[in-house]
Order: sequence, then C-alpha cells, then structure tokens
Amino acid sequence: MRWVVLLMAFLLPALAQEAPPPDLPPEVFRIARELRCPVCQGESAAESNSGVAVEMRRIIAEMLQEGKTEEEIKASFVERYGEWILYAPPRRGVTLWVWVLPVLGLLLLGLGLFAYFRPKPLPKELLEEAERRLKEPPR
Amino acid sequence: MRGWLWLLVVLALGGLFWWGMQRNPEELPSVLAKERRPAPDFTLPLLPPYRAEWGEAFRLADHLGKRPIVLNFWASWCYPACYEEAPILEASWRRHREEVLFVGVNTQDKQEEALRFIAQFGLTFPQVYDPRGRVGVDYGMYGVPETFFIDREGRVLARHAGAIDEATLARYLEEALR
Repeated sequence: MRWVVLLMAFLLPALAQEAPPPDLPPEVFRIARELRCPVCQGESAAESNSGVAVEMRRIIAEMLQEGKTEEEIKASFVERYGEWILYAPPRRGVTLWVWVLPVLGLLLLGLGLFAYFRPKPLPKELLEEAERRLKEPPR
Repeated sequence: MRGWLWLLVVLALGGLFWWGMQRNPEELPSVLAKERRPAPDFTLPLLPPYRAEWGEAFRLADHLGKRPIVLNFWASWCYPACYEEAPILEASWRRHREEVLFVGVNTQDKQEEALRFIAQFGLTFPQVYDPRGRVGVDYGMYGVPETFFIDREGRVLARHAGAIDEATLARYLEEALR
C-alpha cells in the first residue's frame, strides 16, 4: 500500500505536466540543423528549445513520415520564411559572394605574402663589389 | 597608384558600413506579403468566451475572400508589446467590425493565462488557441506580436512585426479596404 502511495506521489506530477515532445528520429535533427530558429540568435532549429524550434522539428518529423524528401522539407520552410531560414546561404545569386569572397581573399593574401617574401635578386653593383672583394688578395 | 587603391578600399568599406547602418533592423521581409500569396488556411479551436458567437472551431477559409482580415498573433507572456497593442486592436475592431474581420491567434500560451489577458483588455474579436504555434510557422512568423493584413481576395497584403500603433494600423486598414 505504501508503495502505491509513493508511486502515485511520483507519477501524479509527471502526469499533470504537458505531454513531452515525442522522441524524434536523428534524421529530423539532421535537417533541423540546416534550418535557422526564427526567434533565436545564431541557433539552428535543432539546438534551440524555443517553442517555434520544437514545432519546426515536429513539422519535419511529420513531413518525413509523409515520405517527403529533405529538399522538399527545406523548400517548404523557404516558401514561408524565404532563404533566410537556411543556415548555409545558397550558392547562387548574391549569396554566391559569401562563398567566393573568402577563397578570393585567401588567394590574394597568399599572392601578397609570396610577393613580399620572395627572395629578391641582389642588385648588380653589390654582386660586382662582392666579386671584386673575393678576388682581392687577403690582407 | 597604391595610395589610390587604399583610398578606394577605405571608401568601399565605409560605404558598406553606411549602407548597413541605414537598414531598419525591425524590418522583416515576409515572403507571403512580398509575393501577395494566398493566406495559409487553418482550423483552430476558439477560446471559450467566443464559442457562443463563432462556434467551437474557427476555419479561416470560411472567411477568406469576403472582407479584409487582420490576423494578430499574440501571447500573454509577450510583455510589454502585446499589452501595448491589445487596446489599440480592440478599439479598431469596434470601429471597423462591419467591414473588416479581426482574428486573434493566441500562440504558445497557456489557456488560463490567455483568458486572463482577454479579460484584462475585454477583447471582443474572435480569439483562437494555438498552443504549439503551428499556424505561426505557416505564416513565417518570427515572434509575437505580429499582425498580418489579408486583403479582400484572401491574399496577404502586409506583415507588421512588433506592437502595432494606431497610425500604422489605420494605414494598413485603409490599404486593405481600398
């Protein structure tokens, strides 16, 4: 009897709580990681525990169950939020620059460094002077 | 030559900075409003005080294409923005209830707290309950409060993020009623 009371004491508060979010397959989190959480700063829909992010994961899970592909799921979020919702900016149009510029910058930096540290040929007079000194008999 | 190149780089960076500073951080692009897409439909339960007049559930499609609709997303925990705009929305609804439909979408909230909020402001326009916030995601909502204006044809005309003031509300209503 005491056991039952104890069990109830533990179980009742748990039952009173709202239903916990269903356990979602890892596939859901993989897709959610590529989507931005709309109300967060720099967090993906996979990491955030905000209401919107939880609901987004639930929507992804439902769409996967309906047999939608990852591309279709992401496209449906882009439909509502625009490309802003994608964590990685698309590699075309204006956002292509985001991908190209760092590489371009690194390339320029490399060229600059190469030009700066490249062994420069010694001036002719200096070489002649050195040669002349070598030929001089030691004092 | 070198000096000019540096000046150009500095000017370009300065220009970029200036352009960035001119942008309004409160301006959030809405794909729905930009492309004037048809308003996403939903069916949600009405909160108890509105069931006598509007029924158990509210289906947006039943009201689309008849008169403009103002869809306001709010939550009782959204302080102070939702508290600031609630009386403004209620006053506007009372003034325009014959020509425009106002619908409140209580989002990610607890029912008791939502009801307390409704009683506090005496809201008389229909209020639906969306504890998970699914409809918000359908509308591409960032956070409460957000107000969507739907025109007579059932297309999304505009989205206002943050508490709405009287002048802005009047301006959007005028546009919707045109």
